[in-house]
Amino acid sequence: MVKKQAPPPKRGNPKAFYLVLAAVALIGAYFLYMQMRGGSSAASATTIDPSVPLPKAEGYLLGNADAPVQVVEYADFECPVCAYFATITEPDIRKRLVESGQISLRYMHYHIPAHPNTWQASMAAACANEQGKFWEMHDAIYNAQDRWAGTATRKPKGVLKDLAGQVRLNVSQWETCFDTQKYQAQLLASQQDAEKRQVRGTPTFIIGSKMIDHNMSYDQFKAYVDTAMASAKAAAPNDSAAKKGS
Amino acid sequence: MSKRQFVALLALLGLLIAIYLTLYKTGAIAELACTTGSCETVQMSRWATFLGLPVAAWGIVFYVVLLALALSGLQGSLAESRGVSLALVALTGWGVIFSAWLTYLELFVIHAICQWCVVSAILVTIAFAISWLDLRDHSRTDAALGVPDST
Repeated sequence: MVKKQAPPPKRGNPKAFYLVLAAVALIGAYFLYMQMRGGSSAASATTIDPSVPLPKAEGYLLGNADAPVQVVEYADFECPVCAYFATITEPDIRKRLVESGQISLRYMHYHIPAHPNTWQASMAAACANEQGKFWEMHDAIYNAQDRWAGTATRKPKGVLKDLAGQVRLNVSQWETCFDTQKYQAQLLASQQDAEKRQVRGTPTFIIGSKMIDHNMSYDQFKAYVDTAMASAKAAAPNDSAAKKGS
Repeated sequence: MSKRQFVALLALLGLLIAIYLTLYKTGAIAELACTTGSCETVQMSRWATFLGLPVAAWGIVFYVVLLALALSGLQGSLAESRGVSLALVALTGWGVIFSAWLTYLELFVIHAICQWCVVSAILVTIAFAISWLDLRDHSRTDAALGVPDST
């Protein structure tokens, strides 16, 4: 008896296949290129209204208040991208730009309504600021975001209190401040300031005359700082000439 | 389109997704196009890194190997090779297991879903099913030709 031979597996049309493969690769590469361009070009920044002065006494300042470029960050403690920026990118910014006196960095609260525990985290940081340790608490809160965020717990106070202890705050003083919501007015003022400036999400940065509404790598951030620095230097001779004339 | 060609196409699509997520993770892309779910929550979680590298970067390695294997399985004598079929099943099977673990983490640990990760998981699952069918076809052919059951 002759064994029935099974048909060989279908090979497909190689020419048509490679054309389809090349088309998919090209479309994909174009999509990736556009995404990268969108993330790094200056076109994604908006020019802000110069009649709204930058905040002087609000928020939390890091570095020299008279630095040539003053950067403001609107952030939400429960925002994962803000945590990424704070833990990955910001250490470089502090070391290379803030400590060298090129920029000052001011942190402002902007609470995203979808984040259930962000307000309490902001209050925890505001109460740490009372003891002169805002930035220590800022770092601790972002580093432990996965422990106290709404995705992990509905009662974040325990973790936040642990963090207060970790950064060596007077915990009973901190707790009284936290429980009485002592800095509610300041937090609300920060929120209103952000809304006045058309902040729509976090993180949002104001660097010079640009408002950038997305996360950035260090290089992208530095590019904005360099542009702002060049504008500041270009404006400086005019300012001194104006002062002489007056 | 043959089954291996289909697997190669799926691998290319998966590779593009993995590159996209890696570029986001490294800061080259500022925002993810994420219409549903919480891509950023997932991508910024501590589970988005595996053995010191972003999970998406491992995805690039996986899909490059899968693409190379599927394409090599279209060339010359390898086109009839049952060994290539077995390797495709093993590789995509590993991909399905890894994707299932990631999906478990998204649903029950991170409590957020990344739509791009879901698409990648679907792609690798389809690739596994197609590879399985490809292996079945090659096993039938080999049996019909009396080829010993070995690679």
